[in-house]
Amino acid sequence: MSWAGALFGVAAVIALIGAVGAVGLRSAFHNVLGFAVAMLGVAGVFLSVGHDFLAIVFVLICGGALPVVMVHAVLLNRPAGEAPRPRGRAATLGAAAVAAAGAVAAWLVVSGAPWPPAGGRREVEAAWAGYRFLTDYVLAFELVSVLIAVAMIGAVTVARRRRPKSEG
Amino acid sequence: MPLAAYLAFGTLLFGIGLFGLLQRRSLVSVLVAIDLMLAAVSVNVVALTTLSGRDGSLGLVVSLILVGVAAAETAVVLSLSVAAERRSRGADVEGDPEIEG
Repeated sequence: MSWAGALFGVAAVIALIGAVGAVGLRSAFHNVLGFAVAMLGVAGVFLSVGHDFLAIVFVLICGGALPVVMVHAVLLNRPAGEAPRPRGRAATLGAAAVAAAGAVAAWLVVSGAPWPPAGGRREVEAAWAGYRFLTDYVLAFELVSVLIAVAMIGAVTVARRRRPKSEG
Repeated sequence: MPLAAYLAFGTLLFGIGLFGLLQRRSLVSVLVAIDLMLAAVSVNVVALTTLSGRDGSLGLVVSLILVGVAAAETAVVLSLSVAAERRSRGADVEGDPEIEG
C-alpha cells in the first residue's frame, strides 16, 4: 500500500469516528469537539488525494475557526450546552432508516454513473486554482463574498440585544 | 487508492450527517450535522475531479465555495441560537415556531 493509501485509511477512520461522536454524543459541546476531529480527518483525506492547500484550509477553518465559534455559542447558551430533551427510540430508528436509505441512494447514483477512467493521483497547484477562481469562476467568488457579507449583517441583526424603547 | 474508496467514505460521512440532522434537536448539533454533510460533498467533488484525471482545480474551487457557505451558515445559525436562548426558550429546533417554520 502506498503512503497515500495508508494516509487515506487512517484519516478516514479518524473522520468517521469524529463524525459518529459529532452526531451521537448528547452534549452539544462534545458534538462540536467530534466535528473538529472529523474535519481534521477530512483534511487528511484531502492530503492523501494531493490537495495540500485544501487540507490546510480545512484544518484552519473547519477544524479550528468554526468549532471555536460554535463553542462560544454553546457556552453563551443557558444550559451549558446540554442538549434539549432526547428523542424517543422510534424517532431515532426512523432517522437512522432515512439516513441509511439516503446514503444507499447516494451510493447507487455515484457508483452507477459512467465516470471517466481514473487518471491517478495528481498534484493540484493552489496558484493555478486561485487563477481560475479569479477568471473562470469569478462570478461564484463574488456570490460567496456577498453571501458571507449578508450572513454577517444578518447574524449581527438577529443576535444583538435590543434596547427597550424609552417612553415619552 | 481507487475512486470508489473516496466515494464510499463521502457517502458514509453524508449518511452520518443526515442521521444527525434528523435525530438531533439542539440547534448547534443540527448545524454540526449540516457541516458534516457539506464536508462529505467536498470529499466527493474533490475525489471525482482529481482522481478522474481531469483538472483538479475545479474540485478545489468548489470546496472553497462550500467552506464559505458553511461559514456563512454557521454565523447565521449561531446567532439564531444565541437569540433563542436569550428569549429563554432554549435552542430547540422544535420549540420555537419561528425556527421550526
